Amino acid sequence: MNKRSIPMSVLIYAGLAFWLVLASLPVVWTAVISFRQYVDAFSSPVQWVAPFTLENYTRLWIDREFYRNFFNTALVTVCTVTISLSVGCLAGYALARYRGSLGFWLLLVALCFRAIPHSSLLPSFFSIFEALGIRNTYVSLIFVLVAINQPFTIWMLRSFFINIPQELDEAALVDGCTRFQAFRRVIIPVMWPGVVTTGLFSFLLAYNDFLLSSALTNGDKMTMPAAIANSITAESEALLMQGVAGAVSITIPLIILVVIFQKQIVGGLTQGAVKG
Amino acid sequence: MKTKSFLQFAGPSVALMLLLLAAPLLTTFYLSVRNCALEMEMVTIEESTPFGKQQTLTQRAKLDEKGQAIKNCSFVGLSYYRKVLGLDDASVATGAAPPEADGSAAAGSPKALSKRADNEFLGALRFTLIYTFVTLPFVLGIGFLMALGVNGVTQKLKGAIISASLLPFIITPVVAALSIKWLFRDNGLVPYLLSKFGIQVFWMAEAWSARALIIVYGIWHVVPFAFIVLYAGLQSVPQDSLEAATIDGATRWQKLRYVTLPHLTPLLVFITLIHLMDAYRVFEPVMVLTQGAFTTSVQYLTYHILISENNPYKASAAAVLTLGGILVLLVPLLVKTWREQKKGL
Repeated sequence: MNKRSIPMSVLIYAGLAFWLVLASLPVVWTAVISFRQYVDAFSSPVQWVAPFTLENYTRLWIDREFYRNFFNTALVTVCTVTISLSVGCLAGYALARYRGSLGFWLLLVALCFRAIPHSSLLPSFFSIFEALGIRNTYVSLIFVLVAINQPFTIWMLRSFFINIPQELDEAALVDGCTRFQAFRRVIIPVMWPGVVTTGLFSFLLAYNDFLLSSALTNGDKMTMPAAIANSITAESEALLMQGVAGAVSITIPLIILVVIFQKQIVGGLTQGAVKG
Repeated sequence: MKTKSFLQFAGPSVALMLLLLAAPLLTTFYLSVRNCALEMEMVTIEESTPFGKQQTLTQRAKLDEKGQAIKNCSFVGLSYYRKVLGLDDASVATGAAPPEADGSAAAGSPKALSKRADNEFLGALRFTLIYTFVTLPFVLGIGFLMALGVNGVTQKLKGAIISASLLPFIITPVVAALSIKWLFRDNGLVPYLLSKFGIQVFWMAEAWSARALIIVYGIWHVVPFAFIVLYAGLQSVPQDSLEAATIDGATRWQKLRYVTLPHLTPLLVFITLIHLMDAYRVFEPVMVLTQGAFTTSVQYLTYHILISENNPYKASAAAVLTLGGILVLLVPLLVKTWREQKKGL
């Protein structure tokens, strides 16, 4: 890169600084007001410094039993990621190694499924789950999320599997492994980075889901995003402030995730792009 | 790999998708041409009050032996499609229209009729498309400028900027929309700052500003994705082409225009296709910022009919129309994939 002129650099740094403020402002400001009473959080003129209180959090987590929602989210997310990856790895591996046209068609159909608006499936889920008597259960939500995740998961895993040289499984097969043993003992161990990256995106999809979780669960089965939905229309001040505290509580695990896995997330985003 | 082992490996995944994606889709088609209404019966309820016995005549759902409400289901053809599209004119509405699933017999009253007559789906589709095509140039433009900008700064800053940029992208959409709502709420931070410049807007109270907020949310949410993909693309711009251009006396602008941009074109196409797919599904900001008051999106419409109107049949009709729209959007993507795969195999 050749040297830029000084005004140009100033412009770039100013622009980036402006973006950083914009990118973090909603999250930072929500975090700030979550430690305030309602009158200090929304006041005119806006107060930059206000008395500190943990009341919103104690009300939410202890009185409103938000830990139940946290537990539900944890359970649903962990199960979704585990099942998605197990099923997806098998399919992704098959798609990477199979040369017939069947594989191509599967990928094409998966691409179409990837684009389905989730609410289009809800009327059917309601009717079917009602008939089977499995509405408002963890299992139904987990499997719905796994299925929604599947198209994306198999595309991504396939692109990772393709990068693993085929000689590796051929050697294993020659040494007397079955196809499955070759997959289990030889391919998966070298695939870990790809599995972790795909798992992260799978996690984000399940953790961030609001539409399906809020429609398919209620009462004590609600996940965290579904549980704060009532603060969307909250008229009462206390309820609104609990929503603010809930929003921050949901975001903290995600921030930790970014800090730990930044490389994998960036890698995953570009993986799809470079491969097309 | 043999076809047999391919089927064994891909089987569980295919089964899941068939059961939970393909089958529900077909069910949606089926539900969209049907209607079920509870069978009602008139009952006389006798109450003993301090003033003597009182009899009231009321309607309630008829129950069968198991205590389940009896439902009368029938084929209604395209009538719910007509409703969602606002094609029901007076003669149809009073004549052939089936009873509403929720039992409200309002279809005949003039007020309900005029309400039915507006095209809910087209309204939702219009905003969805506005949202999609207004956000797209901003996403590509801002993402590209940021990628160029970050490419020029020091290594230390790059990591920090990428980390911070990931936040809007990975944050739970409903939480992000709520945060923006609280930021723009009366007595919130942004109206306060704007009032310092003499601008007063009640963001959630008017159609244009509520729509603008949804679009702002969309840009804020997707720019990081475009930025990171394009930034990665910039790292692989062939350096020798750039050097050759410099030697040939190309200006910085010419290098950008004739070397960098052509190299990034496939990525711009990729971002566009992903964004089209995702923007078509916009839901959370519409739900949070307007609750459908001024504006709806196609996905919100289905959800609203299902949850608020409690009518899965009409919701299915809206869903089928929504799916029709996504098919149109998908055609370019399918063609692109088709070509690449044919080349690759």
